[in-house]
Amino acid sequence: MKYIKINAILLSTALSFTAIAEVAVIVNPANSSALTDREISRIFLGKNKTFANGASVMAANLKDESAAREEFESKVLKKTSYQVKSYWAKLIFSGKAKPLAEFDSDADVLNFVAANPDAIGYIDAANVSDKVKVIKTFK
Amino acid sequence: MKSKIAVLALASSFISYAVQAEINLSGFASITGGITTSSDEALYGFNDTFDFKNGSLLAIQASSNIGEGLDITAQIVSRGENDWDTKFEWAYVSYNVNDKLRLLAGRQRAPFYMYSDFLDVSYAYPWITPPQGVYDLIFNTFDGLSGIYSTTLGEFDSTYHFIVGNNSDEIEAFGETTKPSMDNLMGGAATFTRDWLTLRAAYFSADVSIPLMSLDTLAGNWNAVGYQAYGDNTRIFEDKGTFWELGFQMDFDGVMVIGEYTSLEIDNTLLGDEESYYLMFSKRFDNYLIHITYGVDETSINDFTRGLPTGTPLDALKLPTQGIIASRKAEQSYVTVGLRWDFHNSASLKFEYTDFSDDINSSNDAGLFRTSLVTIF
Repeated sequence: MKYIKINAILLSTALSFTAIAEVAVIVNPANSSALTDREISRIFLGKNKTFANGASVMAANLKDESAAREEFESKVLKKTSYQVKSYWAKLIFSGKAKPLAEFDSDADVLNFVAANPDAIGYIDAANVSDKVKVIKTFK
Repeated sequence: MKSKIAVLALASSFISYAVQAEINLSGFASITGGITTSSDEALYGFNDTFDFKNGSLLAIQASSNIGEGLDITAQIVSRGENDWDTKFEWAYVSYNVNDKLRLLAGRQRAPFYMYSDFLDVSYAYPWITPPQGVYDLIFNTFDGLSGIYSTTLGEFDSTYHFIVGNNSDEIEAFGETTKPSMDNLMGGAATFTRDWLTLRAAYFSADVSIPLMSLDTLAGNWNAVGYQAYGDNTRIFEDKGTFWELGFQMDFDGVMVIGEYTSLEIDNTLLGDEESYYLMFSKRFDNYLIHITYGVDETSINDFTRGLPTGTPLDALKLPTQGIIASRKAEQSYVTVGLRWDFHNSASLKFEYTDFSDDINSSNDAGLFRTSLVTIF
């Protein structure tokens, strides 16, 4: 019984690994910060909490198993999804940090970033609109 | 890792900038089974009957932002070994002074070891549990205050974690249930991380009292015959304990090497000085990770009664005291080999075999097979 369940889980994870072309890192159009790849990575690992102008970063994460999240984690954070989960589990269950805000879809991240001057997020580059500013794309 | 309701609540509170007491839920669980490889062997609470209770646990963490940088967090853990009784392992109010300094007040984990902070979160490390030879202090949490300061030193990210507080949780020792007190517990840990390298050092001290019927009676008898100093050495009462730890971790393209050394001394007791270390090597192959650990645990003893001549009526006190001191001597080593399979985004299956040998009493030698399903949610 357990074996069947495990297989079902494996299958569903495999299906969600649909590759996408490009991930765009987006900020609010009012945000003039220039960020290096390393700074972007540190923001999404909870290490950098402020922009150069001193404003607190509101980082928007995509929900687990989103295609863009898998891409972002491997290309920008240079970690597997397991390593990222494990990293955050250490911080969250030890009281060292709060998890990033998570959103269900690219559209939700886009709206959040468009509405908050200090927000930063990443989405599939195909879903970007002029409500936000793209500061970097990763292929 | 987080409930949907909380995510929506978090998102909406960001957008409206309204401060609401929303509760964020997360948790983790380990379902562990184990059996020793031959009859009459016992190790880490397992014996030759397959057991699914001893190593299993389930934890739920609830936290709430109450505004102005203040958060309240509670982590409750149910352990199979305690008949699934629920205990608060963490219950604290935290305050972010700024981006670098975070203060915690309440019940929290003492950062004794490299894996202390997430000791029960098996998902976050390769083993089923960190090596028991090193991770064997009688308590892991404390009630008090701590400060966590994080900063960058050149290319290194450094974290300094200082604590002050005490612990008085019930334990089992010398076959008795007792309520020790660890007073004036203070100390700290410093961690430096750069890309693939992590270095760590920690030092703590406390005034240790462990009331035990057997030792206190013996101590009383020493005092009654005028040997106050022997009585003081026999009982464990307001004795200074010092603990230190050194650790490192190297993580190179899926190859990981981890080592940790600890030393524990409790002055003026018959407990002996304990030194432990382990070295672990692991390699990842996609969703699989294999690891091997070698560890040593040594306790050296000091027979403070050896100056007394034998063959006097004092033997009635000297012999039992020496017996207890001798029983503390330990020279143990173990090799653990294991496999971790990350079959799911938030769950892993682990298998481990430990070959344990006791150089002083070979009847304690044991082989232990364990398997565990670990998750975070």
